[in-house]
Amino acid sequence: MENLNDTSISKLKGVSLLLAGSVVVCLLPFWTGQYYQQIFTIAFYYVVLASSWNLIAGYTGQFSLAHHAFAAIGGYTSALLVTRFGFPMWAGILAALSSSALMGFILGVLCLRMRAIYLAIATWAFAESVRIFISMTYEITRGDLGLAVPKIFLGEGRGVACYYLFLGLAAATVFMISIINRSKMGYYLRAIRDDEMAARVMGIHATRWKIFSFIISSGTAGIAGAFYGHYNGLLTPVMVDFNEMAFIVIMVVIGGIRSIAGPVIGAILIEIFTETFREFGEVRMVVFALAVIAIARLYNEGVVGTVRQFGQWISRRKQARKDVT
Amino acid sequence: MPRKPHLKWDGLGGGAQDKYGFTTGKPRPRWGSFNEVTAIDSTLISQYVIAGIVIGLIYSLMAVGITFIYGIMRIINWSMGEFYMIGGYLQYIIITHFLGVKEWYLGVILSMLGVFLLGMVVQWLLIKPMFEGPVEKRTEYATIVTIALGVLFTNMAVIGAGPFIYSPPGYYRNTQIITLPVSGTRFIAFIGTMILLSLFYLFLKKTWWGRAFQGAAQNRMGIQTAGIDVFRLDQIAFGIGVALAAAAGALLAPEFYLHPRCGSIATMKGFEIIVIGGLGSIPGVLCAGLLLGLIESLGSVFFNPSFRDVYGFLFLIAILAIKPTGLFEERERVA
Repeated sequence: MENLNDTSISKLKGVSLLLAGSVVVCLLPFWTGQYYQQIFTIAFYYVVLASSWNLIAGYTGQFSLAHHAFAAIGGYTSALLVTRFGFPMWAGILAALSSSALMGFILGVLCLRMRAIYLAIATWAFAESVRIFISMTYEITRGDLGLAVPKIFLGEGRGVACYYLFLGLAAATVFMISIINRSKMGYYLRAIRDDEMAARVMGIHATRWKIFSFIISSGTAGIAGAFYGHYNGLLTPVMVDFNEMAFIVIMVVIGGIRSIAGPVIGAILIEIFTETFREFGEVRMVVFALAVIAIARLYNEGVVGTVRQFGQWISRRKQARKDVT
Repeated sequence: MPRKPHLKWDGLGGGAQDKYGFTTGKPRPRWGSFNEVTAIDSTLISQYVIAGIVIGLIYSLMAVGITFIYGIMRIINWSMGEFYMIGGYLQYIIITHFLGVKEWYLGVILSMLGVFLLGMVVQWLLIKPMFEGPVEKRTEYATIVTIALGVLFTNMAVIGAGPFIYSPPGYYRNTQIITLPVSGTRFIAFIGTMILLSLFYLFLKKTWWGRAFQGAAQNRMGIQTAGIDVFRLDQIAFGIGVALAAAAGALLAPEFYLHPRCGSIATMKGFEIIVIGGLGSIPGVLCAGLLLGLIESLGSVFFNPSFRDVYGFLFLIAILAIKPTGLFEERERVA
């Protein structure tokens, strides 16, 4: 009975924290300048990428190292369709979703029936090839010069509109992933991650679910990339630089891999940190890399895991005090 | 009358030509690409085939390092390109500040040794705990740690040496392999790779340590019953693997120049090769390396030279579709 009360109290705490957080995030653009609006907009873009990467890497245990490339494919697909063929923007974004999901499907079918390491290697090579391809087809993509993209939401109040757009996108992604995680599919994916052989024995079609998770994750990245292109107004092959992928890994690991809140907190923290300490240049990346190595080496679970452990420690102390009195 | 070569080096426009038909001046060439094809005849084809073999063998050096580490520890070292970069930088420092260009071979040996020691330290600090601590998923741990390590090394290089491109002086005069005029550095890299690979082969086949490595690749548990310290073996294997990458970096430094991300293309080829050849198989790596070199070389003569770095990926996809275990499958023991 007491346990039940405890869980319901902690659930209440969680819900109230979530509500407070969302109220703060929703009201944020009204008392910050344009600069912070932009930082948060980019942070929400990374929330989408980090959360969807967490689905394939954290929950399914399949390391895709081309998440940034899927975002770039989405961005370029939408931008090229809109500029060259006069598609409306929503059609471009839908096409971005389908093209990156299709790429994910092809790579997934080829690699995911093999050991986990094949996907990582093939996606790494895929990302580098995408970067070279974009740079080399400069007649179409304008290569390293960068492709100018028609912007979304023109005129007054663009910053606020984009802020809410990306906030909605991030919220939808996190919501989708938490739904997946609680459904049967989430159990399948975690079972596959923990022990694929055992999962197969239990009758889970492991390859099919892995491919499904990979398609969802890369399709989400494609949508995020398309919106990012229309927000930013410029796409360059730098988007497919490995640094971007490293950023996603850093965000997820520092925030806490295999948790819903982890990538969200990680992405927002890291984005604010990078912007605040902009003048330090590469030193920031060294700090992040050391933090990731330390977190992995100490078997820590990032910010989320540490907070959770701290909470458990506090409640245990309280319980101990209660027992004494 | 000296025959004028059909090929010119790509991307070296503007300079005067020397007697081998190379233009002088130092813009960045791409990975061994040629252009200005005048006519397709047998000499030309033979030149492309030789160029492909040369570059393919050089790619294999990197891939052998990756596959050796994978074979012993069952992890992929994602920071291989950064060890390549460190090898190149060490070589640059050694030959420009201490020894001079004439002693480049000593520089290669010294930079291999330096990276070998660095690799041993990295393995002791970061990879060894993987087998001891409460690590749930070893591949996940190793992937995260080595990616972070790569980011760390790249940015340390930017901080230490700046985001500049360094070009060490060439090791040897330009020369000719059968019908192919080739830059001296590439010739040296080809010869050096052959020597290193044969030494590596002899080490694996003839020495006690080499046999221990073969045993570890077959069964980690089994060799421990034979009284071999498998952690010491891991450490040395990691050192040798990254030292091979460093050798590639040091040998190719004058050819492809040094900058903090100079290892990324070489790593990409290395990964493609190990999947094409079949994970964990060293003969497979050699064959796949030569094949990849040939395909890139012939792809750029018959199709478009701009996309030569993409052909390898297409070949990889084709192999995954047709024979997903690679050309030379190494059967893996499960547990």
